[in-house]
Amino acid sequence: MAGAGWVLAVWMGTIAATAYAQGRGGPPPTPKAGAPVDLTGYWVSLVTEDWRYRMMTPPKGDYTSVPLNPAGKKVADAWDPAKDRTSGNSCKAYGAAAIVRMPGRIHITWQDDNTLKLETDAGKQTRIFSFGTATTQGGDWQGVSTATWDRPGSPMGFALGLGYRGGPVGGSLKVVTTKMKPGYLRKNGVPYSADAVVTEYFDRLDVPGGDSLLVVSSEVNDPAYLSQPFWTSTHFKRQADASGWNPSTCVAE
Amino acid sequence: MESLDLRGGVEVSAVKLMRVFHTVSFLFAAAVTLLAQGQPVPGVDLSGYWTGAMHEDALERGAGPELVDYTGFPINEAGRLWALSYDPSRVTLRNHQCDGYIMPYQVRAVGNSRAWEERDPHTQRLIAIHWWHQTFEGHRVIWMDGRPHPPAYAPHTWMGFSTGTFVGNALVVYTTHLKQGWLRRNGLPESDQATVTDFFLRHGDHITYTSVVNDPVFLAEPMVRTTDFYRQPSDPTSWLFACDDGEQIIGRAPDQVPNYPMGKHPFLMEFSKTEKVPLLAALGGPETMYPEFAARLKTATEAEALARTRPSGAPQNSRAIDPTPHDGEIHVWPVRRNVYLLAGEGANITVLVGEQGTFVVDSGTGQLTDKIIAAVKTLSGKPIQYIANTSFRPDHTGGNVKLRASGNDPSVQGSFFSNQFADAGVGATIMAHQNVTNRMSAPQGKAPPTPSEGWPSDTFLTERRRTFQNNESIELFHELKAVTDGDSIVAFRRADVIVAGDIFTTTQYPFIDLNSGGSVQGEINALNDILNRTNYQHEGEGGTIIIPGHGYVSDEHEVTEYRDMVVIVRDRVQALIQGGATLQQVRAARVTADYDTRYGATSGAWTTELFVEAVYNSLKGGPAK
Repeated sequence: MAGAGWVLAVWMGTIAATAYAQGRGGPPPTPKAGAPVDLTGYWVSLVTEDWRYRMMTPPKGDYTSVPLNPAGKKVADAWDPAKDRTSGNSCKAYGAAAIVRMPGRIHITWQDDNTLKLETDAGKQTRIFSFGTATTQGGDWQGVSTATWDRPGSPMGFALGLGYRGGPVGGSLKVVTTKMKPGYLRKNGVPYSADAVVTEYFDRLDVPGGDSLLVVSSEVNDPAYLSQPFWTSTHFKRQADASGWNPSTCVAE
Repeated sequence: MESLDLRGGVEVSAVKLMRVFHTVSFLFAAAVTLLAQGQPVPGVDLSGYWTGAMHEDALERGAGPELVDYTGFPINEAGRLWALSYDPSRVTLRNHQCDGYIMPYQVRAVGNSRAWEERDPHTQRLIAIHWWHQTFEGHRVIWMDGRPHPPAYAPHTWMGFSTGTFVGNALVVYTTHLKQGWLRRNGLPESDQATVTDFFLRHGDHITYTSVVNDPVFLAEPMVRTTDFYRQPSDPTSWLFACDDGEQIIGRAPDQVPNYPMGKHPFLMEFSKTEKVPLLAALGGPETMYPEFAARLKTATEAEALARTRPSGAPQNSRAIDPTPHDGEIHVWPVRRNVYLLAGEGANITVLVGEQGTFVVDSGTGQLTDKIIAAVKTLSGKPIQYIANTSFRPDHTGGNVKLRASGNDPSVQGSFFSNQFADAGVGATIMAHQNVTNRMSAPQGKAPPTPSEGWPSDTFLTERRRTFQNNESIELFHELKAVTDGDSIVAFRRADVIVAGDIFTTTQYPFIDLNSGGSVQGEINALNDILNRTNYQHEGEGGTIIIPGHGYVSDEHEVTEYRDMVVIVRDRVQALIQGGATLQQVRAARVTADYDTRYGATSGAWTTELFVEAVYNSLKGGPAK
């Protein structure tokens, strides 16, 4: 009877493998081939929220709604944009924790089968999202980002790899970013530290009869400057082409 | 022997193994069955307690936005002008004090939320997802069972009517039938014509909610917003939001609605100067939400901004959908208790059924009277006993002759009246204010405009006519010099339904016919008279049902917004008259510009120009007494 468990395991494995093969057609695909959603293309930000904090540089000391702790407030109150400019830190507000909040356009492409690339025209930044082993070292504005596909769960269908009947399953791109150079959550010096961890979900929403939207849900955890996670969600509209793409250097003012 | 280790490390009994085998087989079969049936696998389970993360737009959503901060809102000119005329003191009006939040704004409010599923007890299929929001006790129902949306003549609510489906990892919801409300609570409006597509995404204990508002009346482009919720591990035990209206300003005249004159907002520059935001940006518009606008912040001038505080361009037509069916059929909508709406024959027709006989309010144009009679028969086997006319107009009385002939009034047969009228009891009895009969008939020797068989014979001269029918108290109230001199509203007291006639419509500016004895002040008085007879059920909605002369079934909120509009237009015209303006100058001022995309018409029987002219001439002749 000792081998009975193995028999059962083999049986279940066979079912799962068969189902997977039927549903997916062969060996596990690369992240690019197995992408549950197409995020590539040009996207323009729609600044309908936090307008005063995003389209303009708010006054020094205005950190309304950011859950800064006392240490964070102290840093924010000491913001000196001129010093940032002269010290080569003009891009402090363009780091991974805040770059999607910048008004502008982003361009998402596959760099290779395992790597998504997100470029911004605002500040001319590039983020690399690596599925599996990260290819960047960190210590810069964009840090190290690891990516996974976050697929909708189902206790049976997806455990068996069946997916939804008759269509793509959908899903999110989950990106966790660490090892960033300290930067700003807002242009007026609201800080995050090198210990900050940014968890983002990229979702594509196709409005029936309307636009395609990209929604980036972001959670910033920073033991140094935040008293609780900082949540924002930022939305973009898909463009058919690169219209309006306007690369510009970082500005600290 | 009791444990099972599929890695083979422990000996397993045959019985136990069979149980596991059966269990696994069952689960596999269930999964296959589920997929074969096409039952969507939920991509997001919203059940639980949620609280909105206030890390975006915190000041606006908490303490409240500043006046004239429309930054990033893709409003059109009508939306901007509507907001600029909004005086926040308007919420001191009784009928606005408990205004709820419309659904797209509700989710932006502070407070707790709770979501739960409603499932069929027998099949466990998902029927609906419920979302309760503490602020204004908003209870949203998202129907997941594939039911259709109601017809266009059905009532509107704060939460609207929502249907949902799972697409990938999102719950996608489509909402119609919303009331007019706020996009932002500094007066930025969202119209009752708005539809919303929204998406719920759940990532662990975090919901990202995205709403896409399409509003042909007040928006130039869809308004997209995203809102974050985080899960609460336990019941916050705070779910209510009590509201009860009361006297706020003693002695204010009932026809006063706080509003800022067009182009004269007293706090126009306040937000702009305080926050150092160029006025052009503060005034909003679709361009302000795109990145390119950042460059305009340095070049925007006050002059070009000020130009946006007044109407420009050509008069606009209504962008509202016509709620009246035009398919040649009569559509029946159950209103409340034994009261029904018949839609499809121009003006709305209301029917009260019961053991005594049928009571009909208005008879339509006369084009579909046979179908009206057939529709009434589906509601009651009793004949039509009474027909009440709210107006003499042909679209309210055109079916009188045929409808009357199809019924009879047994209450006069065998009574003293039998001896006085040869046709007593023959046909239904038509009742209305005497002025209706006067306008449908003609002095002896002159040709009457309508056949005598359709004239109201049971008329009244004073302000009230009452009767009791089918266990229902029915009252007709004459509204003096409203859209004509013969208007009545009909109140069914027990059902709590008021038939407003053309005093209130959801389709156009009030058809104030000065030649038939109408006046703008009388119209305002009549709307206020309706509002004096209404109550709301909860948070400013529900309660007394108002059936408009034309348009969708309403409650006091729609009447209140309509009353506000007439008062505001009157105020503007009055101010221009006091400044010496001619009719041409009043027309050129486009005093209705913020309402034209909702009610305006540049052609047809009742244009915006005719409405403005009626208001002007009515005021020049002095307000109605």
